[in-house]
Amino acid sequence: MTLKARLLTLLSAAAILAPLSAASADDIITGDTVGPADAPNKMTFRMTTDGPRNNDPALAAKYSKLFNDFIANHKGWQIELQMMSGDIGQEQARMLEQAKSGNAPDCAAVDSFVLPLFKKAGVLKSFSPYFKKDDIDQLFPFIRDGITGTDGQIYAWWWSTDLRVLYRNKEIIKDAPQTWDETKKAALASVEQGMEGILFNGSRYEGTTFDWLANFWGQGGKLVDEAGKPIFGEGDNRAKFVKAVNYYRDLVESGAAPKRVATIGNYDDFNAAAAAGTSALFVGGNWQLSQLKGALEPEEFAKWTYSPLPGPTAGERSTGTGGWTVASFAKSEDKVGMCAALAREVYMGPANEIQEQLPTRADFYTKYAIFSSDANKGFGEALKVGQARPGALVYPEISNQIQIMMGKVLTGTEATEAAVDDAFKASMEAFKRLQ
Amino acid sequence: MNAAHRDRIGDALTYLAMLVIFTFFAWPLLWLLSLALRTRREVFLGVSRFIPKNPTLENFAQILQSDKFLGYLVNALKLSCLSAIGCLIVALPAAYAFSRFEFKGKGAWMMALLSVQMISPLVIMVPLYRYMAAIGLTDTHFGATMVYIALAVPMVTWILKGSMDGIPKTLDEAAMIDGCNRFTAFFRVILPLSMPGIASAFIIAVITGWSQFLVPFLLIQKEALTPIAVGIFQYAGTQNDTSIQLLAAACLVSVVPAIIAFLSLQRLILGAMTAGAVKG
Amino acid sequence: MSMLNPSAGSGAAGAVTALGGRSAVNETPRVAPWLLPLILVLGIFYLYPVFDVFRLAFMRATLLDNDGSYTLSTLINTLSRPELGQILWVTVVFTGASVIAQQALGLVIALVVVRGEDRKLFGTTIVRTTALIAWVVPGIAGGIIWKMLFNEAPFGGLNSILRMLGGSPVQWLSDPHIVMWSVVLSNVWRGTAFSMVVMYAALKAIDPVLYEAAAVDGATARQRLFYVTLPQLRSAILVNMILITIQTLNTFDAIISLTGGGPGRSTEVLSLYTFNAVFRNYDLSVGAVLSILMLVISLGLAIVYALFLPKEAKS
Repeated sequence: MTLKARLLTLLSAAAILAPLSAASADDIITGDTVGPADAPNKMTFRMTTDGPRNNDPALAAKYSKLFNDFIANHKGWQIELQMMSGDIGQEQARMLEQAKSGNAPDCAAVDSFVLPLFKKAGVLKSFSPYFKKDDIDQLFPFIRDGITGTDGQIYAWWWSTDLRVLYRNKEIIKDAPQTWDETKKAALASVEQGMEGILFNGSRYEGTTFDWLANFWGQGGKLVDEAGKPIFGEGDNRAKFVKAVNYYRDLVESGAAPKRVATIGNYDDFNAAAAAGTSALFVGGNWQLSQLKGALEPEEFAKWTYSPLPGPTAGERSTGTGGWTVASFAKSEDKVGMCAALAREVYMGPANEIQEQLPTRADFYTKYAIFSSDANKGFGEALKVGQARPGALVYPEISNQIQIMMGKVLTGTEATEAAVDDAFKASMEAFKRLQ
Repeated sequence: MNAAHRDRIGDALTYLAMLVIFTFFAWPLLWLLSLALRTRREVFLGVSRFIPKNPTLENFAQILQSDKFLGYLVNALKLSCLSAIGCLIVALPAAYAFSRFEFKGKGAWMMALLSVQMISPLVIMVPLYRYMAAIGLTDTHFGATMVYIALAVPMVTWILKGSMDGIPKTLDEAAMIDGCNRFTAFFRVILPLSMPGIASAFIIAVITGWSQFLVPFLLIQKEALTPIAVGIFQYAGTQNDTSIQLLAAACLVSVVPAIIAFLSLQRLILGAMTAGAVKG
Repeated sequence: MSMLNPSAGSGAAGAVTALGGRSAVNETPRVAPWLLPLILVLGIFYLYPVFDVFRLAFMRATLLDNDGSYTLSTLINTLSRPELGQILWVTVVFTGASVIAQQALGLVIALVVVRGEDRKLFGTTIVRTTALIAWVVPGIAGGIIWKMLFNEAPFGGLNSILRMLGGSPVQWLSDPHIVMWSVVLSNVWRGTAFSMVVMYAALKAIDPVLYEAAAVDGATARQRLFYVTLPQLRSAILVNMILITIQTLNTFDAIISLTGGGPGRSTEVLSLYTFNAVFRNYDLSVGAVLSILMLVISLGLAIVYALFLPKEAKS
């Protein structure tokens, strides 16, 4: 009997050990590290495609050079690169969970809109010691507020920002629509020329909420009050909210937008439609200008331009601004410093330049030639009416509810007002739970 | 109407059904292939360019050029094979016990095993992550393999028990009279005889491991350790739709090894399953 | 998500057998060492976290914080959410339609393949292989593939065929009445192979003597199907339905990459809703309650199916 028992123990030990021996071989695999393998210090950096793993080989090469130069300046360090997927909400939730259990990367790209959440959770390390006051003072005010904690320290470096604009094919739509009415007319005119009409995000996707919010903000609407409590379904705000939702609803019902907008959850679908020549008008992000340049033949690209998002009247305009930050979860001070150095030396400026990502500091618009181009000056101009998403804990749920509401409204399954009220009620519930 | 005539009508109907079935299952993959062979210009021409005018292997080259995808495939293969082996090691003795011994609460144990099978990894995702992090098994293939094993082992135990039930008990008894003890009887007599069941259990466990998404998504962060199901998700998330042809190529690459395995092992797979399922 | 096997089904039947008892071997061997590896692996790597789920369900934990106190409020609030009714209905439709379609189609394909093999028809192997291949497509990739097919842009995989044939395009994913069937279609594509294999194995296991007897009695093909084949397949069908029901209930990876649950909530099944509770709302306790709900539903269905198992399978 004892022999049997011993054999079984052996067997189960083998079951546990067999994979272990294989697992130890993993460390040899390279390809996602920067710097010498025998470097005494290692830092993990989790990034978006804004890095050496960019899918565009040219950009990847430029980023690789930046990273290699950076590591050459910091002897004794190796950076291990980790990728995050495009599903930002999930990725950031996963990172928060890892931070809570002490397994977050040392350094990471944090979406500016979850920054309040991360600050509140107390998982970020202060960057204040590593940035000069001059650098911080140059930041746009909404950027500076975003990264500053209640104690006055900065907890991330917000290096790029973005905004939404209305892209159009000049050959088909000559003049930039300034108001909602003009947009609808222009879209209907393009439909007559065989186009799909105006495209925008309308499915279960953060961009659906974010892109559309400009229509609400432009009228002076507010999603939440000072305390972070949802107020978009009450009084004046509700009227503005309903009006902005009805604008989208009308675009679909009048045929100015195809029904498939309710399935679009990806800015790249617009690039695809532009490349396929099936659409002449879409609500997209500023970063798409350079993507279109890469995707279209030069003579096709020349037909495309952009203008600020229209409002109910030409005077009531807004646009959503977002962007990426670099922040540190590291446990040791030297890794926090290294992360800050990465933000300062690679992302603050050089990364903006190679990727044409709008800088967050006013002085860079003159410092870098590329940002003084007409196209980028135009973006800089539009930033003036820019508005970031509220840094409220309940925002992700509000956004989720707006996406659900948009689906119901765009497919005509529910009356606008009822759908808005449902979304508000659910947001209030979530707010109470988070208290 | 004579028999031969009826057979001919039957054959015609069978062919018709086969055509419909083939179209339904093959169309998505053929479409994928068509997209993957197109150049950027042809991607947006829809079905009218089903057979590309200028077919190109450029997309595959680009996907396979980076070590990423090969790594994903190797990881997936490694995770699924190791976990399948692990499953057998854990499940074989248990299956033998369930098949041969009478003990108190056996039925309850087996029912309990079946209900474990019903707990989706979704149910335990967050505690699982925290727990694995606490014992330091995140970002290791070992940790993921063990969870894969736990996920597949109840059903593997059932399959193996089913196939062992088909082996007459007199064989073990004879072996024990010949001087074997329980363990050597199990090892020398039962194991070789239950090979068809073992093969079928192994294949099922490999397929289960191959398509795992949530577990590696939660537990594995390092790109160098990521298996294909998560890799393709991340690739799709970071990819421009303007390079739809690349995404198609990536999807095909993720399926092709499995297709090859199926083509070469099909007879074995079906044979093993038929053998395993005789006792309904 | 997980792929189960026909014989696991013979297990379901076997479990009932074990309750009934069987002639014992004339010894009482020590069982524990044989079961120990199984118990250890399951306990350490799976069951322990399950207990945590039950604990979390009675707390108010989010990814941000957890005050550590126990309460029933999460349970009550979650189960009384207004949208839960719709989520469950969507889950019922998705699961029901997928299970019925996979079972029916799986049986048809198995019958066709078996007939094709018996008559040595050309192409049988090709058809069989094609159906099997979809089985190994990872769920996420399946979602991506079908998203390309259902794309409603003029260059989409299905609509461009319709256009070429002169038909009008279909709103595969944007019409809330059609989208569910599109999602079911993609799930059936990926899931049917499993049912086919189970049915194929069960068909092969039918004693040929029964068909010979039927032939002697002059039974028609239809009579053979209804009086020999189907009754013989009864337990295999039920077992298969248990397994694919559980699989389908837990499916969300294909839906997440196909529709994300939209438009609105029209394709948000319970598993996706649970996933979203944790990954989008950062709410662990709500996620835990929903997880337990899923578990209860799976167990309940399994018991209901088990009651339908025919007597002969129990003995």
